[in-house]
Amino acid sequence: MTQPRVVLAEDLTLLRDGLVRLFSDHGFDVVAAVENGPTLVRELLALRPDVAVVDVRLPPSYTDEGLRAALAARRQIPGLPVLVLSQYVEQLYARELLADGQGGIGYLLKDRVSNIGQFMEAVHRVAAGGTALDQTVVAKLLGSRRRPLERLSPREREVLAHMAQGRSNAAIAAAMVVTDKAVGKHITSIFTKLDLQPSEDDNRRVLAVLAYLEG
Amino acid sequence: MVGMTLSLSSTAPRMSRAWVVLEASGAAAVCGITWLAWSLSGRGYFWPRWVWFGVATALTAEFLVRTVLGVRPGRRRWLASGRAASGLLAAVDVVVWLLSGGGFFWPMFIIVPLAGAVGAHTWIVGRLPNEREEELTERVGTLARSRQVALDGQAAELKRVERDLHDGTQARIVSLALTLGMAEDVIHKDPQAAARLLGEARSTASGALDDLRAVMQRIHPAVLSDRGLVPAVRALALDLALPVTVTGEFPPGLPPPVQSALYFAIAECLANVVKHSHATVAGVTFGADGSDLTVVVSDDGVGGADLTRGTGMRGIIHRLETVDARLDVASPRGGPTRATITLPATGSARSGTTEGVEREQ
Repeated sequence: MTQPRVVLAEDLTLLRDGLVRLFSDHGFDVVAAVENGPTLVRELLALRPDVAVVDVRLPPSYTDEGLRAALAARRQIPGLPVLVLSQYVEQLYARELLADGQGGIGYLLKDRVSNIGQFMEAVHRVAAGGTALDQTVVAKLLGSRRRPLERLSPREREVLAHMAQGRSNAAIAAAMVVTDKAVGKHITSIFTKLDLQPSEDDNRRVLAVLAYLEG
Repeated sequence: MVGMTLSLSSTAPRMSRAWVVLEASGAAAVCGITWLAWSLSGRGYFWPRWVWFGVATALTAEFLVRTVLGVRPGRRRWLASGRAASGLLAAVDVVVWLLSGGGFFWPMFIIVPLAGAVGAHTWIVGRLPNEREEELTERVGTLARSRQVALDGQAAELKRVERDLHDGTQARIVSLALTLGMAEDVIHKDPQAAARLLGEARSTASGALDDLRAVMQRIHPAVLSDRGLVPAVRALALDLALPVTVTGEFPPGLPPPVQSALYFAIAECLANVVKHSHATVAGVTFGADGSDLTVVVSDDGVGGADLTRGTGMRGIIHRLETVDARLDVASPRGGPTRATITLPATGSARSGTTEGVEREQ
């Protein structure tokens, strides 16, 4: 199996070196580790990595430079898997990342890196075209929508929250300590209650749920 | 008329005591010597009165000049000098008339036109843009007050940030260090316990970061520096528990402190909508009223909002004042509520700054 190729963008040397080591140790080929937005766009277009892990705040503007660079690269290479890391999460940015409906998007708080197992799982999911949304964003999406979520049972809402983060049935089952079959049942019920088209494909399913939550 | 001039004397430059004594004794000496000369020279026509009159006139003139110089330069000083000169001239004429034995009151030919001229001058000065003066006086008052409030607010805010960091972040980091120390202690004897402690340490670190994030968000929301005021308000609206429509735009280039004050004002208004209004929808509209910029936060709630209630709102109003903005709330019982934040075109926050120039381009 070939090593997945990753491009890292982080302006703080300490963190960048940490990420390089982390990814190398976990079987990734770090093809570039950059520290600013314009270089990131250039490297992404030139190297076309399997996944990019990008800090939102990058020089030269020290605003949402990383996010803009990722979006710019995805306009050129649709569906290029990008995992954005940030010290804070905004629904607004999650929506912008998900707007093209292509999948392959991750948006996580920076400190999620500390849970290495979950973080690596999220990176692989994004690289495979899936979604990894931070639970904080999902909580905001679920909390702020005035859609008929009341129709869901508390258990179903819990499943929905896990699903919106991009987790697979097996991962949801493990997190909630239930069987895969029980999760499948909940999901069918959620899709029926929300009038969504059921889908066998995990990624499509997540996108449908997110599109619904975004209203 | 002299009386009117005298009323301004409170601001006259102070004369030194030595000068006053010197001047008074000089005048007394001149008067005394002339009287002595008159008595010694046979006491005929009492001519010293003209010398005395001259001395008195000179002293009065000096006093008047000092008084006029005490008036703030500009229109008011011109009026004061006109009054002083006219008053002195009129008084001199009357005294000359008296000293020369009365008879036909010829000074009226001078006094009447002078009185007319001074009256007209006074009237004009009184009529002329006094509003500007009032406006400036009011503005100085507002500035002095808002500066004080800003300083107080800043001090209070720093204290709060310090307390948040101390009670939240710092406490967690201390506990983190403690947990790590305990893990280090047992790592060889009991690796399983060490692993448990390390897991605990990781979650404590996450908690510290959450605290830090909350403090930073309250100081200055990152999305505000990333994207500017309107997108930041959009991001804020997305997180609220009721639908908020954000419409309109603001010209780019508002100075960061203004954006920040407006952001927190809008956030507080929306928080009040969520907490008190029982509204089902709310709206934030960015627009303009003439050359003034306005933000209207409206809802379909029950109304009856009271600005004086709650310290949060008072703080917001004061913060708006520091950037020359103001908040007006129309909230009849039964609703709806409309809170309007106005940023005047003339405010210091928008005029005379480079950002203001950029904005016009």
